Amino acid sequence: MSEFIERPRYFCALGGALETLSALPDVVPILHAAPGCAGNITWTQNGGSGLQVGGYCAALAVPSSNVQEREVVFGGLERLREEIRSTVELIEGRLYFVITGCVTEVIGDDVKAVVSEFQKEGVPIIHAETGGFKGNSYYGYDLVLQSLFRNYLERDVLKVKKRVNVWGVVPFMDVFWRGNLEGVRTLLEKLGLEVNSFFSGADTLDDIRKAGGAELNIVLSDVYGVEAAEVFQEVHGTPYIQLPLPVGPSATDQFLQQVSEALSLNKSATDQMIAAEHQQYYHYFEPLIEGYNDLDLQRYAIIIGDVNYAVALTRFLADDLGWLPEFVVFTDQLSEEQQQKLTDARFDLKSGLKPKVVFETDTSEIIRHLKQNWPEFKSQKYYNAFSPAFVVGSSLDRDLAQSIGASHLSISFPVANRVVIDRGYTGYRGGLRLIEDLLSSIIVGR
Amino acid sequence: MAKKITQIAIYGKGGIGKSTTTSNISASLAKAGYKVMQFGCDPKSDSTNTLRGGKYIPTVLDTLREKNTVKAEEVLFQGFGGVYCVEAGGPAPGVGCAGRGIITAVQLLKQLKVFEELDLDFVLYDVLGDVVCGGFAVPIREGIAEHVFTVSSADFMAIYAANNLFKGIQKYSNSGGALLGGVIANSINAPYAKEIVDDFVKQTGTQVIGYVPRSVTVTQSELQGKTTIEAAPDSEQAKVYQQLAARIAGHKDSKAPTPLDVKDLREWAAKWADQLLAMETGEVRSAAANI
Repeated sequence: MSEFIERPRYFCALGGALETLSALPDVVPILHAAPGCAGNITWTQNGGSGLQVGGYCAALAVPSSNVQEREVVFGGLERLREEIRSTVELIEGRLYFVITGCVTEVIGDDVKAVVSEFQKEGVPIIHAETGGFKGNSYYGYDLVLQSLFRNYLERDVLKVKKRVNVWGVVPFMDVFWRGNLEGVRTLLEKLGLEVNSFFSGADTLDDIRKAGGAELNIVLSDVYGVEAAEVFQEVHGTPYIQLPLPVGPSATDQFLQQVSEALSLNKSATDQMIAAEHQQYYHYFEPLIEGYNDLDLQRYAIIIGDVNYAVALTRFLADDLGWLPEFVVFTDQLSEEQQQKLTDARFDLKSGLKPKVVFETDTSEIIRHLKQNWPEFKSQKYYNAFSPAFVVGSSLDRDLAQSIGASHLSISFPVANRVVIDRGYTGYRGGLRLIEDLLSSIIVGR
Repeated sequence: MAKKITQIAIYGKGGIGKSTTTSNISASLAKAGYKVMQFGCDPKSDSTNTLRGGKYIPTVLDTLREKNTVKAEEVLFQGFGGVYCVEAGGPAPGVGCAGRGIITAVQLLKQLKVFEELDLDFVLYDVLGDVVCGGFAVPIREGIAEHVFTVSSADFMAIYAANNLFKGIQKYSNSGGALLGGVIANSINAPYAKEIVDDFVKQTGTQVIGYVPRSVTVTQSELQGKTTIEAAPDSEQAKVYQQLAARIAGHKDSKAPTPLDVKDLREWAAKWADQLLAMETGEVRSAAANI
């Protein structure tokens, strides 16, 4: 029997798909699902995405076929047809995108057939099979991208030098998605690249349609959007590279160097750009040093997060901020192969630190791992003391932080105790934002 | 105090003669003076045809498709001997979910409390072939039928379906589900056919509640849109059905079967295949072998 997950940090594939579509420009999602789906997704998002919820035809305003018992028994395609027709008539959009829930997937509604009827009438519409049982919200994101790449992007677009696509940051599941994508965009543009990042304010549906012309795809994740990258390569012939989310100078240097290498860009130009960024970063950082030392703001750190954040935050804390990451917890459900890959490839820290890495999906189990690995962390004040400590995790990890007397900042989903609009932690400037947020939460009571 | 209604579900492989058998049992019970309802749980909705002169009746789900509420009199029709006929109905082949349809229809009838109001003695559920999903198991789940009878011939595929059904019964038997009354052995003409079914019920810890031979009378009656009980009341076949109905009416204690696992079932079938081959080639293997 499979295990249950206690306090999961994601929701279903349909939820991830809906969030993803809400973040795409000019796209109208249409749910073919039971009435509760949109509501459940909305309230989860409401509780976890830094108060970002809603938007044009998103969340509770999403068109949905709301299938009832009658549709379950006799099939829901007529209802879907009606819903699509009304949506196209009443709601302005440049691309309609049908996604399916568990119920309609289980009864086997042939959504593709209905969608192609509308396509024949000239309606810009595609679909993805996103039954909730197919996976979690991160996978829902992947499924939407796969369909977008297969069914919407223009085929046989001529490859354009220095044009790249970027994805791997999951809207709303990464609460800082807007800022993070913009941060990466800005960096890549400084390298002289033309960037399509699908979900940022600077992206348009026209650019997305021509995304097949990219020379390289950059997936900012070891897991999210990787299957979609495979589909992209198969359909449009663009290769991809996987790089960790670049947070702070060390990771960003490497990010820029690897992108530059993959595209055979001028190395010295890249180095120059990096040098200029460093100059500014450390120039801004410098005035903090006095206070950092006087207030003794160095911390032992516990990092709890999804694949993207667990890797990126550990790296930043160890190699940029000079903290001591002792314990890293990945909260995703990952295969053994994925786990191995992550531990091997992503924890070769410049600082030489070797944090203990754990894969745990249950929130309440995290403290058990902690006590198991640091049995003395409570007993000794000076020898081997796990203090002063800091928990960089999600809102679910506040209890853990309190129980060990550590400060706490929510970054990974769910983030229920912060308001996030366009804040981001990627790049050099993102590193500075992260320092502000981490240190502010230590001195907040001052 | 309201009298207790005996609810019976009849299962078996598609085409094995469930509807024919069930309708004849219903007709026999009605003739014997009981108040009976036959509930067809198959999207084809032809279970009760022979009780209604070969005519189809509006189904629960078709009625529900047209409007949101259904009244009992819209889906209940009396047939031969006053048997109340209901058809669950279902979606067109290849769309929707027939299993959910059965659940919906059965629950609706329960909600309407028609069983109690009609003061019935027997409700017979005639359920579609294999128990392919949870919906088709609804009549044997808690609170609906108490006894299940399986119609099976000596054909291996029919026995395979019966064994599958036994697995379903065994699964629900601990949670208040229906228990197995026995096997109705259908189309039993050759002597070995009886032996095969007898051996199967022995292996699976159940019994044969009646043997029904294949008979042209049944076909003739059905062509007139009637049960054998109605069309040929004095025939031998009618007597067979009446005896079967009487045994079912008198049946009290059902039990959980012990279905064979796939490997054992295959071995069991292989053993019989050998024996049938031996019979064809004239090899003597029975007690007569010692003569």
